Amino acid sequence: MAGAANADGGYELGHGLDLGPFNIAGYSNVVAKLPTLEQKSLILDDLSLFVTGHFGRLVNPFAEAELAGLDILHGGHLIGDRGGGEVVLERFYNDSHLTDGVTLRLGKMLTPVGEWNQIHAAPLVLTTVRPAVTYRNFSEYATGASILYTDPNRHFPDLQLYYQPAGELSERPSSLAFHYYKAVEGAHVSLPLGLLDKIGFSFQQSKDVNGIDQSLYGVDFHYTIDRLTLQGESTFSDISNRGPIQARDAEWGIYTAASYALTDKWSAYGWYESFAERTASSTAHDVLIGLAYRPHPAIVFKIEYLQNLSGHPVNPTGLFASWSVLF
Amino acid sequence: MRTRFLAIASLAVLLLAGSAKAEGLLIIANPSVKVAVPVSLSQVAAVYLLRVTAWADGRHIVPVNREATSAAREKFNAAVLQEDGATLAAYWNEMHFLGKEPPVVQESERAMLAFIQNVPGSIGYISASIAPVNVEVLAHVP
Repeated sequence: MAGAANADGGYELGHGLDLGPFNIAGYSNVVAKLPTLEQKSLILDDLSLFVTGHFGRLVNPFAEAELAGLDILHGGHLIGDRGGGEVVLERFYNDSHLTDGVTLRLGKMLTPVGEWNQIHAAPLVLTTVRPAVTYRNFSEYATGASILYTDPNRHFPDLQLYYQPAGELSERPSSLAFHYYKAVEGAHVSLPLGLLDKIGFSFQQSKDVNGIDQSLYGVDFHYTIDRLTLQGESTFSDISNRGPIQARDAEWGIYTAASYALTDKWSAYGWYESFAERTASSTAHDVLIGLAYRPHPAIVFKIEYLQNLSGHPVNPTGLFASWSVLF
Repeated sequence: MRTRFLAIASLAVLLLAGSAKAEGLLIIANPSVKVAVPVSLSQVAAVYLLRVTAWADGRHIVPVNREATSAAREKFNAAVLQEDGATLAAYWNEMHFLGKEPPVVQESERAMLAFIQNVPGSIGYISASIAPVNVEVLAHVP
């Protein structure tokens, strides 16, 4: 239906291309990594394409595939010397809008643990380096069924329940996955405080392929005060059936971030993170500061410096920069 | 002489831009849309914020916006969505990544009216001074 808009030249950067009942969009992210003690690299971190379709209330398919981690330059060598890059099926599901507020989702989806995992596209998130707590200690995906409740008038909290009975559809390669989960279930409640502002609560129960059970509890927030935006996430995972390489019975983390809009296009930002990884006996403490330039709502350049203050590093100390486009 | 001409021209542009803000908007929809009128502005906001994505008959809703710099969109943002343009742009980008299509953009009153006349399920807004020909008027924004 919206295709007629594009016949009239209605394409807008960041909003994709309408072709009949389909919308085709995506994002790209090129990252320069200059860690102090490791090899420097320039990579195509993500080249993602996603397609949305609308065929009435019950049939609204969505699919996203991406090329991830393709080296352009690595330690002074051009691509071809080293190769790299993986094609990944990120999401593949159908939404059925049972009522104005209730949607049934079936397929492979991102899990609503915190805010970052759901909107992890580089042009949408605050920093180039992702805090570990936003992805390391839970299943980022669920393949199964989910019920989503969204109050049209934003008077009541949004709610999502999800259930994965078996393994992940189109499992990611080991270079991109930290754990493989064979059963996942969880819930997320989000209290809207504004259009972008919210407080969220997450729960996820999972069992990985090694039989290790994990119960995760999380909280996240996003709050704007004039030019200042504050956000953060914290999770605690209780791990049972402790595996042989684990150093802890629980994995936890917390990050808090602030960004300040210097002008309409420039902003300064930073975050602090503590992350206690299950396989490390010491807790990592990292701080990051950076500067972002957004010439268009769908384009952003970021440059930032991360310093590991103490503990076993999860993210390396060094300089990072990225250029990302939502198209 | 040239300075006087520029001053008059500038004043005319300002008056024209201001008139779009002053005269109000009509919320219009394709004739295929069957809803009880008038529709409340909070219902219109729910559509544009992508919290409601299908009409009662199951047809997909196609919300339509004017370009970001238009006075009509500025008025619509303030009066109906009650948010500033930058916040809305960030929100729609997030929603798009989450699988919900942001409003389609039409860059003139004429293009907006033609789109709404021709695309089933579409909803948009025009200046109240424009005749709403071959569309359903759902609400008036003063």
